[in-house]
Amino acid sequence: MAAVAAVLMLAAALGSDPILQVVTGLDIAVLRALSRLRTGPGIDLAEGVAALGSDVVVRTVAWVTLAVLVVTRRWRHLVGYVVITLTTTLVVTELALALGRPRPTDVLVLGSWDGYSFPSRPVAATALVLVAALLTVVPAGSRRVWGAMGVTGLVAAVAVARLYLAVDHPSDVVAGAVLGALLPLAAFRLFTPDDVFPVTYRRPTGAHLELSHPRHQAIVRALDQQLGLAVESVELFGLAGSAGSTPLRLGVRAADGTRGDLFGKLYAVNHLRSDRWYKLGRTVLYGRLEDEKPFSTVRRLVEYEDHLLRLLRDAGLPTPAPHGFVEITPEREYLVVMEFFDGARELGGEPVGVSEIDSGLRVVRQLWEAGVAHRDIKPSNLLVRDGQVLLIDVAFATVRPTPWRQAVDLANMMLVLALGSSAEAVYRRALRQFAADDIAEAFAASRSVTVPSQLRNRLRAEAPDLIAELRALAPQREPVTIQLWSVRRVVVTGGLVVALLLAAGLMAAYARLAGLA
Amino acid sequence: MSRHRGAVRAAVAGVLLLTAGCSSVEPRVPGCDEAARLALVAQSVPTSSYVPCLRALPTGWSVTGFDAARGGTSFELLSDRADGRPVEVRLQRRCSTTGASPEPPRTAGGRTYLLLHSISPRYTGMLLDVFPGGCVTYRFDFARGSHLALMEELFATVDLLPRRQLRLELRRDLDIELGP
Repeated sequence: MAAVAAVLMLAAALGSDPILQVVTGLDIAVLRALSRLRTGPGIDLAEGVAALGSDVVVRTVAWVTLAVLVVTRRWRHLVGYVVITLTTTLVVTELALALGRPRPTDVLVLGSWDGYSFPSRPVAATALVLVAALLTVVPAGSRRVWGAMGVTGLVAAVAVARLYLAVDHPSDVVAGAVLGALLPLAAFRLFTPDDVFPVTYRRPTGAHLELSHPRHQAIVRALDQQLGLAVESVELFGLAGSAGSTPLRLGVRAADGTRGDLFGKLYAVNHLRSDRWYKLGRTVLYGRLEDEKPFSTVRRLVEYEDHLLRLLRDAGLPTPAPHGFVEITPEREYLVVMEFFDGARELGGEPVGVSEIDSGLRVVRQLWEAGVAHRDIKPSNLLVRDGQVLLIDVAFATVRPTPWRQAVDLANMMLVLALGSSAEAVYRRALRQFAADDIAEAFAASRSVTVPSQLRNRLRAEAPDLIAELRALAPQREPVTIQLWSVRRVVVTGGLVVALLLAAGLMAAYARLAGLA
Repeated sequence: MSRHRGAVRAAVAGVLLLTAGCSSVEPRVPGCDEAARLALVAQSVPTSSYVPCLRALPTGWSVTGFDAARGGTSFELLSDRADGRPVEVRLQRRCSTTGASPEPPRTAGGRTYLLLHSISPRYTGMLLDVFPGGCVTYRFDFARGSHLALMEELFATVDLLPRRQLRLELRRDLDIELGP
């Protein structure tokens, strides 16, 4: 920041004619000395190098950086990037206008130029976009160190080329480089310190949290203090099947010294945000299919899941026994703890037998009788142990659902079971527990949107006609429409469109102000 | 402590955004008494024997654009009586006078031409000041009626400073040698 202050002081000093004369005298002396070194090939080379600081190159680097930040969803870096490019561009432009310094005189100017000379806008812009890209796109460590050396070399090359062509004074390029490089450096250190907001491309699937050492310690401590559990190990478990939380396998030692496992689901604010966006998306795309109201806090979310676990256990469903939940960070991170189904495997990985079909259908029957819909029946949420189907992940379940939602649960269960057997076998066994009309309604309500994405992908890959086969077996029934319009859907959709237009307008204004358009 | 730091960061970001968002880079055309700024205009066409500059802007006029680059300088002047259509003034190395009618010259050793595209319902066209090593064009589009007063104000506002005079001022005041 001292260097930036020095540049601003120099700019102020150049407003005084005597100081301007002295600085310009020194500048011209350097430029004259450089002009004596000019050769034909040297001029060609300098013109080529100076082109690295052209508007086209600068804009390309800036837009690529912005695109990377959007794709990698580093929103904080993106906001920092927008603020600092806007601020630096305006500082450089305002300084140039305030000072109104002409291009070098007394030396033959060879390259193209645009606007006042101090500070050098192309050098500032080159340094700005390269340093900002380095700090927001390149991970810290050796790659960034090498990158910094490359950026320094590039900016220096552009600066020297412009001096060789005498389009800028030496003081112009120094001021441009200092402002362009140090303002973003200081800003990103302040807003996105690496230890808190690291640049990383290791992106976990779904909304999973990293099991860092401090988080590991906090989990062990919380389980000990709040649930009296002596936890010996904490490890990530079954990440592929869980997008809405971070699943953990907890190794626990009981008072008698025996060791067992528990299953934990870690919820944080990012899971809450994912849940909100997921529900918002469904509201816009399909209307209010069911209860799409998001949870207001992480605490509410875990309280709800713990409650559902207890409710389903009381209803006799084969769900994990609840062990309560613990608070890791108040209002930010919570861990729901439940029974770990040791020795169970995912349903559908192997051929599905009659006992498993009956057991799976019985789960739906029990859900119906308990007045609950699971709403996320898919292979990864159905485990099998000793021929019995076990139901996990009840976070999306709802009490007193619509008949439509209950019918969808039945359709999804039949699809999972039929994937490992056949449509006909599942249909025949289903008639023992459900009326033919129930099954007809289930497949009249079944659409691509009602099938969880994991199940949908497997159907597409393994049995694309399975829904049609099951529908054909059941009595004919008109399809149930799922596009529901409501005031809320219209308002939310309109709001989203306005927000997108506003964002596009802001982006256009930013591009114009930052000189990127 | 971390909450305090977060608030400080948010405040700094807000101030920066407000500064950036509220700043509007006002274009500014060099006045005829601003030798250092006029040097840039002169450098844009090194052969030009005259340099366009601004006298005091009449009431209701404003500058809406200024761009000086190697090869030429252009700026826009807008009157609040011109229906949002600015006059575009451009200094360049040469310009074509084909179809233009001679007018009384505005510069010693130069010629002035007028090229009218229409006189009704709007008074549109281009005035050209041609002098050794360069020329200045003025593209205008005024409503008929107010055009006489606007043309008069325009030419009272944009003056042409001899390069020789500018060179002397730069040498005397700033010890700068304006080439060639």
